[in-house]
Amino acid sequence: MSKPTPSLTRRRFLEGATLGAAALPFRARSASAQAKPTITYWNGLTGADGKIMDELIDQFSRETGVRMEQQRIVWADLYAKLQVAVPADEGPDLALIHTVEIPHFASDGIFEPVADATASAKGFKGEDYLPSTWQGGMYQGKRYAIPLDVPQHLLYVNVKVMKEAGLAGPDGKPRIPGTRDEVLAMAKQITKGDTFGFAIGTTNPGRYTWGFHNLLWQNGANVYAADLKKSGLAEPAAIEVAEFWSSIQNQHKIAPPANANCRDAFIAGKLGLWIAGSWNFTGLRDAKVEFVAAPVPRMFKQAVVWTMPHQFTFPKKKAVDGAKRDGAWAHIRWMSDHVAEWTLKAGQVSALRKPHSDSRITGDPVLRTLLGQAGQWQSGQATPKWVAAENITRPVIENVYIGQKPAAAAMGELARQINALPD
Amino acid sequence: MSGSVWRALLTVLMVVLAVAWLLPAVWVLVTSLKLTENIVRVPPEWIPWPATIGHYGEVLFSSSRTARIGRAFFNSIVVSLGSVAVVVLTSAMAAYPLARMRFRGRSLVFGLLVGSLMIPNAVILVPQYVLVQRLGWLSTYQGLIVPEAAMTFAFGVFLLRQFFLTIPSELEDAARIDGADPWRIFTGIVLPLSQPVLGALAIFAFRSAWNDFLWPLIAVNKPDMFPLPVALALLRGAYAAESYGPIMAGAVLSALPLLIVFLVANRRIVEGVRVSALKG
Amino acid sequence: MKPRRGRRQGAFTPYLFLAPGLVLFAAFRVYPLLEGLWLSFTNARLGRAQQTFVGAANYARLLDDTRFHVSLLNTAYYTLASTVPILAVPLGLAVALNRGVALRTFLRGAFFFPFTLSVVTVGLTWLWLLDPVIGPSTYYLRAAGIPVRSWLADPSTAMWAIILTTVWWVTGYYLVIYLAGLQDIPRELYEAAAIDGAGGWRSFRSITMPLLRPVFLFVLVTHVIGSFQIFGQVFVLTNGGPGDATRTVVQHLYETAFQNFFHFGAASAMAWVLFLVILAFSLLQFRLLRGHTQY
Repeated sequence: MSKPTPSLTRRRFLEGATLGAAALPFRARSASAQAKPTITYWNGLTGADGKIMDELIDQFSRETGVRMEQQRIVWADLYAKLQVAVPADEGPDLALIHTVEIPHFASDGIFEPVADATASAKGFKGEDYLPSTWQGGMYQGKRYAIPLDVPQHLLYVNVKVMKEAGLAGPDGKPRIPGTRDEVLAMAKQITKGDTFGFAIGTTNPGRYTWGFHNLLWQNGANVYAADLKKSGLAEPAAIEVAEFWSSIQNQHKIAPPANANCRDAFIAGKLGLWIAGSWNFTGLRDAKVEFVAAPVPRMFKQAVVWTMPHQFTFPKKKAVDGAKRDGAWAHIRWMSDHVAEWTLKAGQVSALRKPHSDSRITGDPVLRTLLGQAGQWQSGQATPKWVAAENITRPVIENVYIGQKPAAAAMGELARQINALPD
Repeated sequence: MSGSVWRALLTVLMVVLAVAWLLPAVWVLVTSLKLTENIVRVPPEWIPWPATIGHYGEVLFSSSRTARIGRAFFNSIVVSLGSVAVVVLTSAMAAYPLARMRFRGRSLVFGLLVGSLMIPNAVILVPQYVLVQRLGWLSTYQGLIVPEAAMTFAFGVFLLRQFFLTIPSELEDAARIDGADPWRIFTGIVLPLSQPVLGALAIFAFRSAWNDFLWPLIAVNKPDMFPLPVALALLRGAYAAESYGPIMAGAVLSALPLLIVFLVANRRIVEGVRVSALKG
Repeated sequence: MKPRRGRRQGAFTPYLFLAPGLVLFAAFRVYPLLEGLWLSFTNARLGRAQQTFVGAANYARLLDDTRFHVSLLNTAYYTLASTVPILAVPLGLAVALNRGVALRTFLRGAFFFPFTLSVVTVGLTWLWLLDPVIGPSTYYLRAAGIPVRSWLADPSTAMWAIILTTVWWVTGYYLVIYLAGLQDIPRELYEAAAIDGAGGWRSFRSITMPLLRPVFLFVLVTHVIGSFQIFGQVFVLTNGGPGDATRTVVQHLYETAFQNFFHFGAASAMAWVLFLVILAFSLLQFRLLRGHTQY
């Protein structure tokens, strides 16, 4: 790659980025710096969204001269590596993480706090964001992260499967279930041979905690009680969810086995109704699957939609390199300004309000569906134990899913385990 | 007659079995050659048509950060060859006096080394991590090479000593009378005569370092230092149509070096296994 | 007798030869082993600067750690259940190959090939082959009218799916070892037995089996030590599931030390319990199969 001359870089930078006046000091400094920094950036965008991020980052580097070295591994391993790498001073300059990770990383001292003055000086202001995402970047009164987007659940409806099951209208459009009864009825009609009616989760649906949480929230339950001290999983509302979790496999027999790859099943035309993450939809388009996106149906009391916003954070360094930190800020700024493109290509709705009225976004049926869910969004609870609790939840709900353990006993045992988690 | 008929039947049976045995590997190869939209299909398709080598191109040359398999391939080569060099050198040097010289503590040293073959690697995992961290070797080549080599060292000593014992000592005696020192005898006579078994050890050490998974998984925190098995495993979250192609292409590429080694040196491996396993 | 030492061999010569290897060995095998024992009696954690001696607290906690118990049982189950197929399948193939079939090199190569793959490749491949919805094996079984259930999602079969995968992976290695052992058995023995009227099965039992005893012992010990440390297959295929049905000790140890809790003390205690179990098993095997082999 040929290095652009400084003047060219600056001109393009000014053209490309629509910076607020607050970002001016940064602009001056970066233009005067002789060597543009290379910043390391870790993220877990291993799906189709990763390629989109590559393209955007290439564009960012061309426009600003700031080079980025991305390192990408699946989220669970990324977090383990962050926890190990940062104390060894091998952490990256910038990381993209999920909101629920912030409390425990912050309390372990893995992330650098960001002063409010710094954030607003760089042009990041609370009123520009959806409140829950902006609030999610805080832990115990300190800011650790700047939100990017809002990955969330939605219902994918497989057109081919629906047609075969006689669940499409004369215009070829599939019927869309809105309630649990409709989901169950349609799923039963679809399920036949190796085709399944309904699934929640991507790979290993049996242990898909994000789906389980979504259902909990729909029923007004949660992992922790409101005081964040004791687990709420032994409550009747949570047990009811666990019973449903088990019933789709064991009673209704509409869901694929616990270790099925639901995404591939959907692609192969073996799955009809699928609640899964918004990050899957560009991949489905690549695989040329005919599908319709619909809001998450109301399976319990309220049609709550699970979300887990992505946030930019600065992992701690023994010595902060000012140029690199500025480069990282420049990237956050640039991505925030170009988040409409990110939304359009990667399917992740922005945490910033402004692009929500972009006509290109409101014109896309899937994105319109995602935006339409905004009133129902909910995220994980802000406790450092959230992730640890999630880890021990997986095998338990899988045992429930495969009918190995009765729901009530499993939830009681899980609540005890969560209550016993060390501080 | 009946014997040869029976033998022919057995051959046919074995060939069928062997082909079945290879099918999963063929599936990997076939998948790596398919167009992305043709990969996930029911019923399964065994002929990758239309075929593409695009996944290999993406894996090896693209700037995509998702499939950094090319980089991981390079890391694996460095680590495996480095480990082979350390193992072969240190264990040959150690095995020579154990086979040929008398000194205090000889049986103790040999006994310790052989006994250590029974120590499971998992037991050493955590303290080894602590040690490598203290040395500042996390996410470095030496942090992978040296522990890998230490893991194979005792086995290498054992293997080479068995072989050195079978070399007639007359040549060494003659050289010694001519005034050659032990190092010259070792490098000039013993090592050249031991090429087959050194080759076997080298292959063994290469395979073990090339395929090791658990140690690099924990000892490398920087993704651009991952060797192949770790890079492949940590991509499995992307396990879906759009990344099967690159993952399977990466798997084929990761099998290639060993496949070539085994095709070229099949006989030597058998010999090495035989010396190590049976002549003990 | 060889001369005690040559003209130029000083008293230090053997030690000079040994030095590089022994330094490596002492630093990266012996020292960690002892350090691990020490850590198992401390509250060491990643990132915690000070570690204090806590006595046998880590071991005591293992007594209450039900997931550790499950892991230990699963590991023992895997080891025991996999022993027969892993001893028998390569033996059967080796005996067949030794009966003068054609294409021996190709056959041996075919069975050996999977062993050249990394455990991750093996795991990913079988994960797909066994997928309950889109997996080729599922499709063909269904097409053949065989009722399909998900092997990996059923606690009673998940471990067997892992064993199947492992057998496919390592058979070639043990096959080569058996073949080498079989070739060392003199042909004349079989010829003499045939003259005495012994059939194939009898000569297998009275000649092959006894003379292969050292090979057996080698395969058995290698397999058992390896099995107790099984990790990669589980990590890729099931991640311990369904539930905790395939969770193994090394996985539990890995998660305790490097993924969830970073608790080095507790993980070291697990490692030492595992070590003692392996040691007990190995001694038991030596006793049971005590032959003329020396190790």
